[in-house]
Amino acid sequence: MGVAALSTLLILPPGIAAALALARYRGPGKGGLETLLSLPLVLPPTAVGLLLLELLARRAPLGAWLQARGIEVVFTWKAVVLATAVMSFPLLVRSARTAFEEVDPRLVGIARTLGCGPWAAFFRVTLPLAWRGVLAGTVLAFSRALGEFGATVMIAGNIPGKTQTLALAIFHDSQIGRDDRAMALAGVTIVLAFTALWLTEWIIRRRVRTVAP
Amino acid sequence: MIEARIELPLARFPLRVDLKLGRGVTALMGPSGSGKTSLLESMAGLRRAARGRIALEGERWLDSDAGLDLPPNRRRVGYVPQDSGLFPHLSVLGNVRFGVRDEAAAESAIDTLEIRELLGRYPASLSGGERQRVALARALATRPRLLLLDEPLASLDLALRQRVLPYLVRIRDRWQVPCLYVTHNVGEALAVAERLVLLQEGRVHAEGPPHELLAVAAASREADEGLENLLGGRVAGHDPDAGVTRIELLAGPVVSVSLALDRTPGQAVTLSVRAEDVLVAVEPVRGLSARNVFAARIAAVERTGPDVTLHCALEDWDRGPRWFARVTPAAVSALGLAAGIRVWLAVKSHSVRIV
Repeated sequence: MGVAALSTLLILPPGIAAALALARYRGPGKGGLETLLSLPLVLPPTAVGLLLLELLARRAPLGAWLQARGIEVVFTWKAVVLATAVMSFPLLVRSARTAFEEVDPRLVGIARTLGCGPWAAFFRVTLPLAWRGVLAGTVLAFSRALGEFGATVMIAGNIPGKTQTLALAIFHDSQIGRDDRAMALAGVTIVLAFTALWLTEWIIRRRVRTVAP
Repeated sequence: MIEARIELPLARFPLRVDLKLGRGVTALMGPSGSGKTSLLESMAGLRRAARGRIALEGERWLDSDAGLDLPPNRRRVGYVPQDSGLFPHLSVLGNVRFGVRDEAAAESAIDTLEIRELLGRYPASLSGGERQRVALARALATRPRLLLLDEPLASLDLALRQRVLPYLVRIRDRWQVPCLYVTHNVGEALAVAERLVLLQEGRVHAEGPPHELLAVAAASREADEGLENLLGGRVAGHDPDAGVTRIELLAGPVVSVSLALDRTPGQAVTLSVRAEDVLVAVEPVRGLSARNVFAARIAAVERTGPDVTLHCALEDWDRGPRWFARVTPAAVSALGLAAGIRVWLAVKSHSVRIV
């Protein structure tokens, strides 16, 4: 749960940046970039986990580089965050991108003539106009992070108290015959997911009313 | 003084203009797709591909040779697009205060455009005319050094247009800010602009005082309204007994029009008289019901389709606009109308419209 929140928080800035770039950029390579970003959605999660594991293993260049700086990723909670982040990233990007595409670029231009730098224009116009889509994407990403299993188990293992997430715990408990515990955990996930979705719906609907009285 | 030399590649032709704008309002007219909006956006800094040089009072905004291109937020222009471009997520107050530079400017803008009662509302609940007034106030609140208005009245119907137009005149008179004003409407151009630039396929086709330029038949034909006499003037006073309002024309005589009590004396107005409503006589007119009779000299005779258009210069008003009178070829030969001939032009007060 904490891990899911952390990974969602972590992917927000790059996710929003990528979504904005995809929404505004018109040029060669756009299709390829889109496909690449959406890849984790269609690949088996275990394949993504395996790729990450290969990338970060001690003998791989990136893994060795991190190792040299005393950063251990594989089979720690950091690996869980990384796995869930990679898996939920495309969901955020897709939803946020659609929202950004619906913002009239001329409004951003007008904000610029009214004295806004590029950042101010983004935070005062683009984001406020697209925030519903961004929020929906964030909730989706969060739910995905909560339920992520395949990639996590590959790269972080299933170490109780260390890298065991809710989804992994449910699997683990049901495997060893503790069905009541698994059921209780499943109940927790249901409550969490329901609350998040319901809260989003509520915020969005409340906002719509104030915009068009 | 604003100097702008701009080159910008567009889809069908390049925009290539060299303009000097002084104080007051410059109207920018031209057919759709002639590059008017692109020119405004280049001035505002919204077209990164624009090359050339733009300088306001010697301060450079764009100087491609020196690699200088100030971003829009450092140019201080007030840009109002055709559809107002209000931020839907902000209230009217939020919109007006969006780029506010000093409180006095915001307050003054709110008063000028009379939008104080609207401040708590959201753009979605405003009428078209209200939206344009808010957009104008938002631009003014930044204390812009240049106003760029892209057909601010085009999305409004005729009645609404006439309600918003006085605000533009008021902005011109109170704020003293140079303004580039795109319009398709000849009446608007005459009512607010001191100068007129005609743009065609990305180039300046003609520029000069509006009443002179619009008096050129070719320029007039480009405009929507066909061949009309468009005359700028001021309301001199009302005469309810005679049933007329008298208008003193700029560089021209006093003209009587049907009583229009909704116009206040001193107010700037534009009159329109259709060329076919101007009667031509070769002798002094007596005993005619028409209230407006002026001596004139024919400057040119032009064949226009099935008719003939006479270009007439009013006597005593050499520097005023030419008047157009449309007559039949039969009348030309019967009366012996030719360039240099002295004539009398007669117009009924009912034939004169206030635009």
